[in-house]
Amino acid sequence: MLSNAVINEIKQIVGVEYVLTTKEELLCYAYDSTPNAFLPDLVVRPCSTAEVQKIIKLANEHLFPVVPRGAGTGLSGGSLPVAGGVVVDLTRMNKILEIDAENLVAVVEPGVITYSIQEEAEKIGLFYPPDPASLKTSTIGGNVAECAGGPRAFKYGVTRDYVLGLEVVTPAGDVISTGGKTVKSVTGYDLIRLYTGSEGTLGIITKIYLRLIPKPESKKTLMAVYNNLKDAAQSVTSIIRQGIIPVTLEMMDDRTIQCVEKHKHLGLPLDAEAILIIEVDGPRVLLDSQTAEIAEQCRSCGARDVKVAESEDDRDRIWAARRAVSAAVVQIKPTKISEDVSVPRMAIPEMVKRLKEIASRYQLELVIFGHAGDGNLHPNILCNKQDKEEMQRVEKAIGELFQAAVDLGGTLSGEHGIGTMKAPYLKLETGEAGYAVMKNIKQALDPNNILNPGKIFWSDSNE
Amino acid sequence: MNKETMQKYLDRCSKCGGCMAVCPLYGETHVEPLVARGKLFLISNYLEGNLDLSCKMKELMSLCLLCKACTVQCPNSIPVDELVLSIRQEIAHEKGISFVKKNVFQHLLQNNGRLTTAAKCAYLYQQSGLQWLVRKSRLLELGGGDLGKKENLLPKMAKVPFRAQVPHLLPAANPRVKVAYYTGCLTNYVFPETGHAVLKVLKNHPLDIVIPDQWCCGIPALASGDEESAVKLAQKNIEAFQKAGVDVIITDCASCGSMLREYAELVGTPQARAFSEKVVDFSELLDDVVDFQPGEKEVNHIVTYHDPCHLRRGQGVKEAPRRLIKAVPGVTFREMKEADRCCGAAGSFNLTYYELASKVGHRKAQNINDTGAQTVVTGCPSCITQIDHMLKRENLPVQVMHLAELLSMTY
Ligand SMILES: Cc1cc2nc3c(=O)[nH]c(=O)nc-3n(C[C@H](O)[C@H](O)[C@H](O)COP(=O)(O)OP(=O)(O)OC[C@H]3O[C@@H](n4cnc5c(N)ncnc54)[C@H](O)[C@@H]3O)c2cc1C
Repeated sequence: MLSNAVINEIKQIVGVEYVLTTKEELLCYAYDSTPNAFLPDLVVRPCSTAEVQKIIKLANEHLFPVVPRGAGTGLSGGSLPVAGGVVVDLTRMNKILEIDAENLVAVVEPGVITYSIQEEAEKIGLFYPPDPASLKTSTIGGNVAECAGGPRAFKYGVTRDYVLGLEVVTPAGDVISTGGKTVKSVTGYDLIRLYTGSEGTLGIITKIYLRLIPKPESKKTLMAVYNNLKDAAQSVTSIIRQGIIPVTLEMMDDRTIQCVEKHKHLGLPLDAEAILIIEVDGPRVLLDSQTAEIAEQCRSCGARDVKVAESEDDRDRIWAARRAVSAAVVQIKPTKISEDVSVPRMAIPEMVKRLKEIASRYQLELVIFGHAGDGNLHPNILCNKQDKEEMQRVEKAIGELFQAAVDLGGTLSGEHGIGTMKAPYLKLETGEAGYAVMKNIKQALDPNNILNPGKIFWSDSNE
Repeated sequence: MNKETMQKYLDRCSKCGGCMAVCPLYGETHVEPLVARGKLFLISNYLEGNLDLSCKMKELMSLCLLCKACTVQCPNSIPVDELVLSIRQEIAHEKGISFVKKNVFQHLLQNNGRLTTAAKCAYLYQQSGLQWLVRKSRLLELGGGDLGKKENLLPKMAKVPFRAQVPHLLPAANPRVKVAYYTGCLTNYVFPETGHAVLKVLKNHPLDIVIPDQWCCGIPALASGDEESAVKLAQKNIEAFQKAGVDVIITDCASCGSMLREYAELVGTPQARAFSEKVVDFSELLDDVVDFQPGEKEVNHIVTYHDPCHLRRGQGVKEAPRRLIKAVPGVTFREMKEADRCCGAAGSFNLTYYELASKVGHRKAQNINDTGAQTVVTGCPSCITQIDHMLKRENLPVQVMHLAELLSMTY
């Protein structure tokens, strides 16, 4: 609990208007895009690095938890104030400070919506590739803190591949800068990589330097339908062997296809085991021959049907199927538990098999879609959070699902982060020693455990 | 909406935050209680007994434009605007509505004679600057708050209401369709020129036109949580229009139109359904029912179009007004960015929350101006008031007019 004196000091720092105190307002910062919620004691909306710094100093003085929050679209519980304290909402720090066309760098504040960076860059023919499905709502600060990925990751990489520099307020209340406008930098440890994906536990990111690249001239889309999921995975490998790296390779399993078709009536085949949506981008002159080659490879790997989009309308129709997934699957049951395990690409068919086996053992509704290029799958369990008994089965199934991913040489989370949702399973992947290294870093940088307590290392607090 | 239905919808919210990308209020403020998922979470907490209908709750629930942008984009098809209306109704029941609103909804709007008198008072006030009269004419107090600052936004009352200026029966030589014209309060009391323009256009088509007796559509009452008054008004309108025996009922006001179409649901009788089924927007009548015949005069304007929320999302009308504008000889049409984003009017929202509505309106004014158009056309008098205010406030060289006015310039 915060004393009135502390609350007043915080009001002095950011202005009364930017401190939210009523229960009604606090409730609206209790949640993110997971099904969970925890009431914060206070919400603060700073507008500058200096204000953030003062809040952190105050937190060290009075020992209250500080939870950084972007748009609250996280899928692992990262911005949930599980231990109460002060939610620091960064959406007021939302200026694009500079788009440096000569050095191909964007300098932005953390609260900028990712899509606005893309829009601004594209106005001058540049490109910021990371494209989480939440790009029109999530903040770049949240993207960096989670190292968000997206469908384009296979060709272009994830957020970390575009962060050139950061300004961070450390848990002790110091402001540091690491990296900047240079593409190369090996001065000491790579702190940029450390902070990218640190889920708000090691510092509050207050400024970000992002690498931009020239915008590809054009793109072309195909859809391939398979009777056999194995053939879809094989197609991906064959395509790459031809020297073609598609920008996206989205996969939908049979159950997903059926849901989408039932909800949207797009004419998808109900008896197919998998659909791949493949997109290539680059110079226009290359794309026709590349799509022809891809279609050929898909067919020879066993695709029963391949459609190449010849117009913008065709392209739209193909993507409509993928876009409809979210809305379609919740028609089965209202609560969607969305996981994002990643496995080596060739293990996808085996992983899908195991996932289905787990779901049927626990009598759960499961749909699987995801990024076939990088092996990042989104198994979604559809359930009803009001049904306590069902939720227990979900919990058990999730444990086994993580184990399966690790057994196949994969990882718990490709892009959503550990947060609270995956914290109990962290050691499955890191082992004791790996866990200790991470924990030591956290303790060294945040001895008072001010920043985002209860995240990543949750298994400790439960012990 | 009963509590079980509400709960069923609320359970569907996955807090994905898709609403944040489209909510005009969130777009300007970035605060969660103003966006749909925040409001839905609060309503859930109230239904679960974890929250009272406090003053804060009342304020937060009134901070919604009801523009339906979130409703349309919601991947889980949650009718956010209906849920907000339901909770407003609950709040109105529990806490009552303001004395002024009560008077307006339950007495003034239910009685055309008194309403006309009030409008006359307002007119006199505006002509003479007599401050005290405005207090008597409760109409202008509807929004509450600082009157001085909003003076420019307040509608300029017409000296004589539109319906008192025109005959109530305008037969055609060879009528194809018999049309009843629902004028709405704003056209009647504030913008008679819109009404005249509508009639001028209609008279150039083979239509029998009737202007039956009519009352406020009820949307201001419903939006404030007073469903009972809204239903009473609906019943009066249904009865009056039934007597007129027409094929089609048109409106020139997007908000009235969407409300009239709601009567089926709101009142629930076969008569109400029959009434609602006949309602079409002025633009749809000309685009679908009769073939629009423009006059010969050229209108050499660059024109852009603003989609009223209650027309685009409320009634699904998108292409008809655009096709009509493009059919006007001489017009160059330019689509604006975010044409279907709310202008901030939202009934009396722009009076109650002037500063916030102005932020929303600023974005609209900029988008309009960026097209280089001289004229922005729309289909809702409430939008016209707000857009006109914003364009003037920002000194932008653009005029706003109703679609009917543009079309009527060709004759
Ligand atoms: C519909 C939907 C689709 C999604 N699709 C994808 C996808 O395709 N790929 C993907 O990777 N993710 C996806 N996500 C997850 C989510 O959008 C991302 O994790 C995103 O990066 C979160 O950003 P945010 O601004 O909402 O951050 P929040 O949820 O507010 O916070 C996330 C974490 O970042 C920390 N944080 C936020 N800002 C800062 C800062 N300035 N400094 C330090 N720490 C900070 C928080 O403490 C928290 O731990 C999706 C989510 C939804 C709801």
